[in-house]
Parts: sequence; C-alpha cells; structure tokens
Amino acid sequence: MPKIKIDGKEYEALEGETILQAAQRNGIYIPRYCYHPALSVAGNCRMCLVEIEKMPKLQISCSTAAQDGMVILTQSEKVKKARQDILEFLLINHPVDCPICDQAGECYLQDYYMDYGLHKSRFKMSDKIRREKRIQIGDYLTLDRERCILCTRCVRFCEEVTKTNELFVAQRGDHSFIDIKPGEKLNNPYSLNIADICPVGAFTSSDFRFRKRVWFLKTEESVCLGCATGCRIKVQYDENTVYRIMTSPNEHTNTWLCDAGRMTYKELYAEKRLRKIKIDGQEQQGKGLSAVYDKVSQKNPEKTAVILSPYLSVEDNMALYLFARHALKSCRIFLPQLKDRKISDGILRNCEPAANAAAMEIFAKVFSIEIFNPEKAGEFDFVITCKKTADRLHLEKEGLYFSLEDCGLEGILIPIKSYFETKGTFINWKNRAAVTSPAVKNENKFEVWRVLSELASLYGSNLPFENLSELEEICKKEILDGHTH
Amino acid sequence: MKILLEKSAFDIETYLKNGGYEALKKALSMKREDIIEEVKKSNLRGRGGAGFPCGLKWSFIPKTEGPKYLVCNSDESEPGTFKDREIIHKNPHSLIEGMAIAAYAIGAQTGYIYIRGEFARETRIIEKSLAEARSKNFLGSGILGRNFSFDIKVVRGAGAYICGEETALLESIEGKKGQPRLKPPFPAVKGLYQCPTVINNVETLASVPYIVLHGGSAYASIGVGKSAGTKLFSVSGPVKKPGVYEIELGMPFKKFFEEELGGMREGEKLKAVIVGGSSVPVLTAQEAMAANLDYESLQQAGTMLGSGGMIIIPERQCMVEALFILARFYHHESCGQCTPCREGTGWIEKLMKKILEGKGASEDVDNILSISENMMGRTICPLADALAMPAISFIKKFEHEFNAHIKGNCNLCRK
Ligand SMILES: Cc1cc2nc3c(=O)[nH]c(=O)nc-3n(C[C@H](O)[C@H](O)[C@H](O)COP(=O)(O)O)c2cc1C
Ligand code: SF4
Ligand code: SF4
Ligand code: SF4
Ligand code: FES
Repeated sequence: MPKIKIDGKEYEALEGETILQAAQRNGIYIPRYCYHPALSVAGNCRMCLVEIEKMPKLQISCSTAAQDGMVILTQSEKVKKARQDILEFLLINHPVDCPICDQAGECYLQDYYMDYGLHKSRFKMSDKIRREKRIQIGDYLTLDRERCILCTRCVRFCEEVTKTNELFVAQRGDHSFIDIKPGEKLNNPYSLNIADICPVGAFTSSDFRFRKRVWFLKTEESVCLGCATGCRIKVQYDENTVYRIMTSPNEHTNTWLCDAGRMTYKELYAEKRLRKIKIDGQEQQGKGLSAVYDKVSQKNPEKTAVILSPYLSVEDNMALYLFARHALKSCRIFLPQLKDRKISDGILRNCEPAANAAAMEIFAKVFSIEIFNPEKAGEFDFVITCKKTADRLHLEKEGLYFSLEDCGLEGILIPIKSYFETKGTFINWKNRAAVTSPAVKNENKFEVWRVLSELASLYGSNLPFENLSELEEICKKEILDGHTH
Repeated sequence: MKILLEKSAFDIETYLKNGGYEALKKALSMKREDIIEEVKKSNLRGRGGAGFPCGLKWSFIPKTEGPKYLVCNSDESEPGTFKDREIIHKNPHSLIEGMAIAAYAIGAQTGYIYIRGEFARETRIIEKSLAEARSKNFLGSGILGRNFSFDIKVVRGAGAYICGEETALLESIEGKKGQPRLKPPFPAVKGLYQCPTVINNVETLASVPYIVLHGGSAYASIGVGKSAGTKLFSVSGPVKKPGVYEIELGMPFKKFFEEELGGMREGEKLKAVIVGGSSVPVLTAQEAMAANLDYESLQQAGTMLGSGGMIIIPERQCMVEALFILARFYHHESCGQCTPCREGTGWIEKLMKKILEGKGASEDVDNILSISENMMGRTICPLADALAMPAISFIKKFEHEFNAHIKGNCNLCRK
C-alpha cells in the first residue's frame, strides 16, 4: 500500500485512493465543490488543489492518485493562497444574496469563505453577470442560476445515479448555465437529492424553501418507512414541527433518498389526519377506550381476524399478537401476503412498500402464523389491524383499525401516533433492524401497544409487559435476536 | 532546406511523380517498433503547439488487441496560425501518407481528420485526396497487398477554438460538447471512444514520410540540437512578404525577418513579435532580434515556439487594444469548466475594456497581473495560461502604453 506524507505526517493510502480520499480517511479535510464521493470525478472547481513535492504546479487532490512516496502539503501558503483565489473567482459573478438565500447556513461558499477566503472584493458589483432566478424546474426543486458555481454535481447525478439525463451545462465560459432539456421537468423519483448535493443555493427544495432557517433545525437519526429498503434518515425539526427529511448516508442501506420517502413526514400534517377515536362514524369525547371495549367485546372472538401489520413496528405487532392470544384468545391470527423484497429501480425503491415486511416473516416463523386469504374474508365478522393493511387487503369489513388518517372504514378508528412521534423497531429487506426516533410529540394520539395493553386489562387479562421497555425486551428475545442484525 | 513545401502536389499523380507514397511502401516492410524507433531518433516534436516528442507519444500506445485510433488535429484555430492550411493546399497527400504510416506503426485501423469548420475549401481538398488515395489502395483494406487496413474519416468542427485541444477534440468527434477531459487517463490509454488514441497535428504527421524514407538521424541532423527538422511559420502583420514559410529550426529571427520576410513595409517600424501563436508571451523587437527560431532559444527568450503562428506587431499598434482583443477571444472561447478560466478570462476582458476606454486606474492593471497569476497552472487545459501568459508579458513589456491609457493620452489608438 502506498505510503504518503501529508503535512509532515506519514499515512498509508489504500490502493486506488486519491489524495483527497486518503486525507479524509485520516481526518484531514481538503475543501472541495465538484467532488462528491458517490459521483464521478469532474475536477473542474479547482478548490481541492494541494502542493506535491517535486511537482511545480499545484495538483487537484480529488483526481490525483495517492502514490508511494508522495509528500503532500494541504496547508502551505501556496495552497492557502490558491484556495482564496478560487473562492474569489467563484464569488465575482455570484449574487451573494445570502439574506434571501435558503442555503444560507449550509452553504459551502459561506463556509469556505469563512475558512479560506475573507478577502476584500475587488470586482465591481455592476459588472456581475445576471442570470435567471427562481425557476420551478421540477415539482420539488427551484433553480437559481445566478448562484450556481457550475460544479456539475447535479448534471452528474442525473447521468450517473438516476440515468435520466435531464440536465446539462448550456453555453460556454462564464455564459454557462445549468439547463434542462426542452419540454422536460426535473421530476425523476430522486430529484430532491440534487438540492442536497448542490453545494450552494442554486438548487433548493421547493418544499422546504423559506420555511425555516437551517440553523434552528435539530436532527434525529431515524429510518424511513416509505418502503422495505429502510433508508437511514435525518429528521430535521424545530419547536415540535418536522421541516424536512435528509439522508443519513451509510454503507448498509443508502447514500440517497427517494422523493417519496422524503415526503413521508407530510403524514403528520395531513388535513385528513384522524383527530379522535371514531366509532361507527362518531367521534368519541374523552379518551374513548371503554367505548371501544364495549364494542369489541360484543364481537365473537371466533369470528374475529387479527391481522399483523407490516406497516407497524415490531413492538406494536407484538402487542397485537399478545392481545389476540391473551385477551381475545380464540380469535384467528394472520399476516398479509407479502411482496418480493428487492430493489425495483436499481437504486433504492423496494418492490415491497411496507417497511416492516421482513418482521412479518419472522413473526410467521416464530409463532407459526398463516397468511390471510382475502377470499375467505367471509368467514369473519370483525377484523383488527391497521388501516394501511386493510387497504392493502381491500378489506371492507367492520373492524378495529389503527389509523393515521380519517377514512371510510367501518367500525372503530383509533388515531395513532406516527413513527415520527413515537419509537418503533423496523426490520428492512436485508433483515437489518432500525429504531425510529421520535422528533416531535403528539399527546393527542395513541400508541398502538398502549391501546392494546389497556384494552386487554379491560378484558381482565394483563399483557406480559408493563411498559415499552418490557415490551421491547420481549421483542428482542422473540423476534430480533438471531433473526436480524 | 524544405521538406513539407519543397514541391507542391495538388493531385496524387504529381505527388507520386515527386516520390510520394514511397515512404509508406517502405514503412509497410518495416517492423512497427522500428518505425517508432526511427521517429524517436528523428527528434520530431509535435507541431500543434506543445512540442511533445512524437515518437515517444506513439510508443505509449499499448500493444494490446482491440481498436486504436489515430486522430489528426486540423482544427487550426489559434489566432495567427494558418500553416496547416498551407500543407492541405499544397501537399495534402503528405498528410495522408504520414497518417497511414503512423496508423501502421501504432496499430490503428481508423483515422480521423478533425478539421476546422471554417475550412470548407480545405475539407473538399482532403475529401478529394482521400478518394485518390483510396483508389490507389494507399487507404482501405489490405493496403498495397499487405495485411494492413486503414481508412480515414473527416469530421468538421463547428467554430470552437477549444476543440483544438486534443481531448475536447475527441469529445467533439464523439458528438459531445467540446470540453477538455481531465487527465490522466491520457489519450494513449483512453482516448477516442475510450480506446488508445494518438492525436497529432497536421504538420507533425506530414513530416513523417520524410523520416521513414531518409531515416530518423537524417531528420535529426536538420535544425539545431533537440529542435530537429523544419518548421512552418505563418506570418501575419505589416511585413513586406507575409505568408507561410518553411525554415530549418534554429534560424535567427533577425535573418528570417530580414531575408525571408523582407523586413517591415515602408513606413512601418517593428515593435513586438508574437512568435508562436496568440497563446505565447510577446517579445519586444529587441528580444526577438536576439532570439533564434527553435524550441530552446525561444524558451530562453521567455516565450514558446508554439504553433509557429507569427504575428508581427508594428509600432503604430496600441498594445492595450491588442491585449483587449486577445482577452475577448479567450473569454469567448473558454469552455467554462474550470473556475479560474471561466471567471478569470471574463474578468480580464472587463478590466481591459475599461482600460481601453480610458476609464481604468493603475490598480486595474495590477489586478490583471494578479488575476493572471491566479489563473496560471491551475486548470484542466492550458487555455487559461494562454491568456494569462500573454497578459503578463504585454503589461510587463509595454507598461508605458497601459499607463498612457490610464492617463487618457494614448496616441496610438484609432479612437
Ligand atoms: C486551447 C487549445 C487549442 C489548441 N488548438 C490546436 C489546434 O488548433 N491544432 C493543433 O494541432 N493543436 C492544438 N492544440 C494542441 C493539442 O492539444 C495537441 O497538443 C496537439 O494536437 C498534439 O499534436 P502534436 O503533438 O502533433 O503537436 C491546442 C491546445 C489547446 C490547449
Ligand atoms: S446547480 Fe448546484 S450542483 Fe448544479 S452545477 Fe450549479 S452549483 Fe453545482
Ligand atoms: S427508497 Fe424507500 S426507504 Fe429509501 S427513502 Fe425512499 S421510501 Fe424511504
Ligand atoms: S482551462 Fe478553460 S478552456 Fe480549458 S478546460 Fe478549463 S475552462 Fe475549459
Ligand atoms: S474538488 Fe477537486 S477540482 Fe473540484
């Protein structure tokens, strides 16, 4: 392996690594604009220039292979001067409209200016090249051409990741600008990643724009429940409001996120969100659980189907299972038919839309649960499951449904917390378990497991847990250990 | 002594009468490595501007199976340069013969001539000459009864100077936007359509038949030292006899200027010389008179032989205006990938315009100097340097003219 020296210290580079990568792996950060670890190297911004002994010219570290014996300087006066010069070039035609720019606070022009620039402007304001602003280039994206530094990350993303090739650099020289093929919109299913990778305020998310200054945002690491892929996400929120979902790149699940996944947080604020327990179309006043008990307990358990849900967490499913066994006793327990768990588009989207499908299979194995056959739905008078599972099975039966939204299902609707509001374990298509971490609170909604536990006590049978951590312990022992990683 | 323009041959019959295609016959009986060896021995250097040793470039082509390409750079767009055009006009078959030999030596089956879009007449000449060569089986399959097949396609540019840069040229042939590629990989490893490719200038390739026919050392003995052979200079400006000249490398500029060009026209006085195309630093008349026309001597004089596009600048020409024109050109032609070139060329043009219009201050001149320094050696291709180097030389050598503009008393301007 090549031995190199960076700023006086020896390091080992990996075979095929560039200087920038080797430095980064060893905790030395070299500033960059066009380089992105998941895209091809363009080498156009020239921000990553470093000094290499025996080479008269500075070299770009993002494309220069780390070779044995190289002596590299990333902090020499020459390198610092070069960075300052590149920043100056980038800024001469930049509008510097930070106060009205949504990127402010997470902008690489701002950051590097503070770190490496701090120069006085010697370019006349009136000489700046003006370009088009606020272009609604896709459903989720706004383009400001004036702020673009032409790093081509966005172009390469569309060429290399989505392979949809919508974007290109039109014109030449300082007349260049990012353009989209005539008649097209930037609406590929992964378009919002472009707002993330754009290092400046040229591409911004139309959904997030101007809703919050980024420095107010707090972050919870969580997992996306948009499909069985289970991408890791960062939920960004402030004052009990979620503002956006960002990717949390990791080697196991995802680099990017799909747009649909990013929009899952909208379930929190849906107009149709179920407000209160509803029984036969009537909103219940007060907590309403005894009314629920009154109704459910009238049903013949032998004609009741409890269907576990791949949309609910392992804990909630466990509570459902235990409720069926301990409270209803003689009911039948099922799980829905699952789809193939594989990537449908070569990128991230899974053929299986339910986030906890893999957990269903473990439940089936551990507790010998059979698959629900919709054709035999006639055998039952009453169903207990969640609304999404009911939809998936096209159930139109009276039942007890855990639901985020108000809907026309017959029987009892229980307004549950979203997993942005409560904790739950999900097992992705690769049997990797992840726990959602609540970013916001919602005291008006129910946790599935708690509802079931309280109903069970009304039945006079206590479920074998007192609180969530005891339930988690059961899940760990029965479901997670040995089946997931 | 002349090689390229010694005898003109507009058609193949004349070319054959002049001994044409004998070199190809000889080459086809030689081993490929031996041809490359002869070209190395000849010290022939690239005539497109960079002066890279030709034989060495050919030797980088891997000996593996699979397609390889030979590309002739006939984009000739550098201001002041019109010497390849002369070869196409007067001796088109020397290029085709040179290409066939080069293709044989590197194992290419397909060649391209990428020709400047404005060269409509020259394109017709090339097409006609290619047809002639095909009819005599100097191109095509089983050339001259040998197990060697090679043909040449013509691709026309569309007016972009940057497409003369060899990797932008490859992009352009592939149908993409003409933008230089990041190197490495070099074209010899991954060139046209990702295959090993040699790119040579027209003049370089047209020099090859002589080398094969007479041997590398015969060619090396022409010229001086490492500057071997003859070189074309296209001379523009108010000299008595502007035009294209072929001279042995090493000739003193003074001799060339006085004996070949006949000196300045009546009433004109020599002020400065750009010897190698608009991208190289300018020489004052005095510096030029002391220099010899070869790679080393010109480097010592602080400039470069470049393409041999020699621009003679008379006393009456305002250097501020001249640099403004250059800045406008390079700004217009920058492909715009690299930050320093994209932003720097436009910035310099703006400052030059200001100075030219008498609205400049001395700090504008200082700023051009520092912008130029900041652009140099930091880009993907040398286009940024091609403005930066002349800009620095113009300002350093003709500072008084810039000062005059700032004070508003330039008496040279035609305003
Ligand atoms: C901006 C730019 C323009 C160029 N234009 C030409 C050109 O018009 N013709 C040419 O032969 N070489 C041109 N070159 C040089 C080529 O990149 C390349 O070095 C040359 O074609 C190699 O051939 P040679 O080794 O035979 O000289 C240009 C280089 C640059 C950077
Ligand atoms: S829009 Fe953003 S990502 Fe695209 S080239 Fe411009 S700065 Fe780079
Ligand atoms: S691919 Fe699936 S898990 Fe990943 S972000 Fe999209 S919806 Fe979420
Ligand atoms: S130096 Fe200029 S012309 Fe060359 S690649 Fe960079 S931007 Fe393009
Ligand atoms: S990060 Fe290396 S050139 Fe842009």
